[in-house]
Amino acid sequence: MSFLIPCPNCGNRSVYEFRFGGEVQAPPTSAAPPGDWQKHRFNRVNAAGVQAEWWFHRSGCRQWMQAVRNTVSNEVLESFLPGDKQE
Amino acid sequence: MKFRFHDKTIEAQPGDTVAAALYRSGQRIFSRSFKYHRPRGLLCVSGKCPNCLMNVDGIPNVRTCITPVHEGLRVKAQNAYPSLETDFLSVTQRFDWLMPVGWYYKTFTRPAMWHAVEPAIRKVAGLGEILPSGPREYEHAWMHADTVVIGGGWAGMQAALAAAERGEQVVLIDDQVALGGQACYRKRMGPRPDAIIARIRAAANIRLLQNSYCFGLYEGNLLGVLQRAPHPGASERLIHLRAQQTVVASGAYETPIVFPNNDLVGVMLSTGVLRLLHLHRVQAGKRAVVVGKSLQAGEVAEELRDGGIEIVAIVDPDTILKATGSSTVNGIQTRTGHFSCDLVVICGPRIPDNGFVAQAGGRIEWSEPQGAFLPTLPPSNVSAVGDATGEAVANTIAPLPTSKRAFVCLCSDVTSADLCDAVAEGFNHIETLKRYTTATMGPCQGRMCQLSAIGVCARETGRSIGETGMTTSRPPNPGVSLGALAGPKHHPLRRTPMHYAHQDLGVVWLDMGDWQRPRYYTDHLAASEEERVLLEYRAVREAAGLIDVSTLGKLDVRGADSGKLLDKVYTHRFSDLPPGRVRYALMCDEGGIILDDGTVSRISENRYFVTTTSGNLDFVQQWLEWQICATGWDVHITNVTAGYGAMNLAGPKSRDTLRKLTECDLSSGSFPYMACREAKIKGIPAILLRIGFVGETGWEIHCPAESAEGLWRAILGAGHEFGVRPFGVATQRLLRLEKRHVIVGVDTDALTNPYEADMAWAVKLDKKEFIGKTLLAHAAKDRSRERLVGFVLQSPGVPEDGAAVVVDGQPAGRVTSARYSPAQLAAVGLAWVKTSLAQDGVFIDLRVNGELLKAKVTMKPFYDPEGVRLRQ
Repeated sequence: MSFLIPCPNCGNRSVYEFRFGGEVQAPPTSAAPPGDWQKHRFNRVNAAGVQAEWWFHRSGCRQWMQAVRNTVSNEVLESFLPGDKQE
Repeated sequence: MKFRFHDKTIEAQPGDTVAAALYRSGQRIFSRSFKYHRPRGLLCVSGKCPNCLMNVDGIPNVRTCITPVHEGLRVKAQNAYPSLETDFLSVTQRFDWLMPVGWYYKTFTRPAMWHAVEPAIRKVAGLGEILPSGPREYEHAWMHADTVVIGGGWAGMQAALAAAERGEQVVLIDDQVALGGQACYRKRMGPRPDAIIARIRAAANIRLLQNSYCFGLYEGNLLGVLQRAPHPGASERLIHLRAQQTVVASGAYETPIVFPNNDLVGVMLSTGVLRLLHLHRVQAGKRAVVVGKSLQAGEVAEELRDGGIEIVAIVDPDTILKATGSSTVNGIQTRTGHFSCDLVVICGPRIPDNGFVAQAGGRIEWSEPQGAFLPTLPPSNVSAVGDATGEAVANTIAPLPTSKRAFVCLCSDVTSADLCDAVAEGFNHIETLKRYTTATMGPCQGRMCQLSAIGVCARETGRSIGETGMTTSRPPNPGVSLGALAGPKHHPLRRTPMHYAHQDLGVVWLDMGDWQRPRYYTDHLAASEEERVLLEYRAVREAAGLIDVSTLGKLDVRGADSGKLLDKVYTHRFSDLPPGRVRYALMCDEGGIILDDGTVSRISENRYFVTTTSGNLDFVQQWLEWQICATGWDVHITNVTAGYGAMNLAGPKSRDTLRKLTECDLSSGSFPYMACREAKIKGIPAILLRIGFVGETGWEIHCPAESAEGLWRAILGAGHEFGVRPFGVATQRLLRLEKRHVIVGVDTDALTNPYEADMAWAVKLDKKEFIGKTLLAHAAKDRSRERLVGFVLQSPGVPEDGAAVVVDGQPAGRVTSARYSPAQLAAVGLAWVKTSLAQDGVFIDLRVNGELLKAKVTMKPFYDPEGVRLRQ
């Protein structure tokens, strides 16, 4: 594993500068049953393909960001700071 | 220059490699083969074959043919006993019938049989032995370029110059000691292109890495480069090189021809002979037979003749029957007769060196006209030029006679007969054939044998070479030393502001993550840990003790929404915490699993002071920042861990001690338990928290790091008359255990929730929303399977951390912490047990030193269960 992640603040950086924060998943509502929260905590989609992920630029700007990565090719399609991109 | 080869002193000339100097001195046998211990001499003289591996200065498996001589080197042969010339284990070749291909799998079919012979096999198997060596320094470096060119031959130099003229930043990597490639040792290629070399050296935007080799092309165009002897202070430097474009110009290398006794000493590749002749001015022999197809062999013969070597004959590979000689070659037997000689020069097939294209994802396919595997469809950021593309390569595949003495793989002594046997046994795919016979898996990584192995496989299976295909190219190739991969010994070390005060007191250190903390103090006296800990313990319980807690994570949380954030991430409520108060803080994840604990103090309306466990600071800070991402909340989190020194003064005399240094009212009436104040102590501004991890009246004092050592010394000075002592982590661990205080990560694990850890009091389920609420509410109703309980051992002894809890002969839990408690006069501890056992007065058995000892469960602290002393 030696791909690059384009950090919105720092530019292209080695993946080893980052901490992986897992898949971007919307948490269940506070009224949701425990089963939904268990799934949220313990289950992963583990997509073979494009998925949105959390990354923390530990050895750089120390900001949390999201990156859209193809898990098969490790190509990072885009990255942005949360809040910068409102769907 | 002189160096040592066993007990001989060898003279070397400037520019010599170890192997060249040894060859000039008359040494002919350089190694013994892996399996049969057959004598082997120089073959490729370019660092590609396994024949010259020796131990140099204690480092095994060094390719001596490319290792420059230094004054005073110590060189030793390996895999030979008692000497290279007489190796007792060479007797194994007489018993080759006992060791057919795959004999490990065929012979050691039962564990008992393997265990019986394993010690003997371990002794003789493997290559080389690690001997004591001097200190070696390794470096890591990172480089970036527009274009990297691998190979400093004609094609590589042209590619580098072309890229440089386009204005690109270029790195040119050459594994030889001088640029020029074949032109350095093949007169047929014309004179060395000195003008081009000069232009490369002059170009400001070409960085030349000489005597450096690439070992892998990884994802993201990351090229692994190993630079040998970058400067006198380092033996190797590993370079992480990223380039937009990679140009593979690594050329083609020559490989052997397969015939009986083709491994005898004196059978050499033509390039090896020419390299010895032109690079080192060493004649490999006096009378040579050149083996090869007419045109190629004729050119080589002419060049050798010019170099003063007599050419006995030029022999077509198709006509060879065998090489003769017992250990050193003395002739070649062909269909037409016998030619006596002392050197056989092999003009073998040339293999385009294009593994990097394959590693980058390019396809490699067989091309009949060139007789080679060539890159097709390389990815857009990788290209090949020169001989690596097969240009000027035209191999005819010589016959591959089946013989038990015709060696295909020199690294592990695999013969053509072995390969035929393996195919007959069903290993007819090139990948399974490789794994079963280990051909192509030795130190040369298939450089010498891959094409021959594929050829035999193709013939035996009736397929073409193209259909048979080649095995996957994987990095690292060539190998890299573990030291180079590990890099320099940079171990970060963090010292607290009071470090040197501890040192003055006499201390035994404890490494905790990057931090160094006092384990216990020695007063520079020789005494056991038990004695010193007991002394410190008594001071805390009877007078007072002072411990350095600067390693605690410290976060300054400010802003109007700080309370909202802390309510979200901790299980307790903090928005209603009055300024001047402290609360215990327990952090859980969405699953209700304990992540960390600490304290939260409200300094003022919009300012909180948060402490975390020493090892979890980074995690907690990132967790808090994660939770405020894109919320727009008015919260600012600053890590002030290094900015504050911290110490905890605890014990009945702590108030008397501190009172001497501050005007702050320390009475319980105005500064009660779980209160916090900002105050000056001896003029130093500090935050005081009245908390009690160790169970005594006490204050945790945070002050600017630069004043911490002075304050530490001042408090110890003020407390001297009361018997105040410094205490270390070992004593703190005992004190907290007597209070049954949990250490997150020691007594809890990655699945522990607060209910199981008996900390339900720290969870406020009536809070509207916080991380983990749903599953904590679920856990509160659910009777979990395990509980963390305290125990008092009923007989002498102390269980080890991790000791088993046994009930009715069945495992029923485990001990997480245990110490001898002076308060209970028995060992006490924490243990995970089944919920049914988590009641005061229940007896459980613990395995202590192999014996089962009774222990009594308790759900209360072992010391001052009502917490009276804390509040005094």
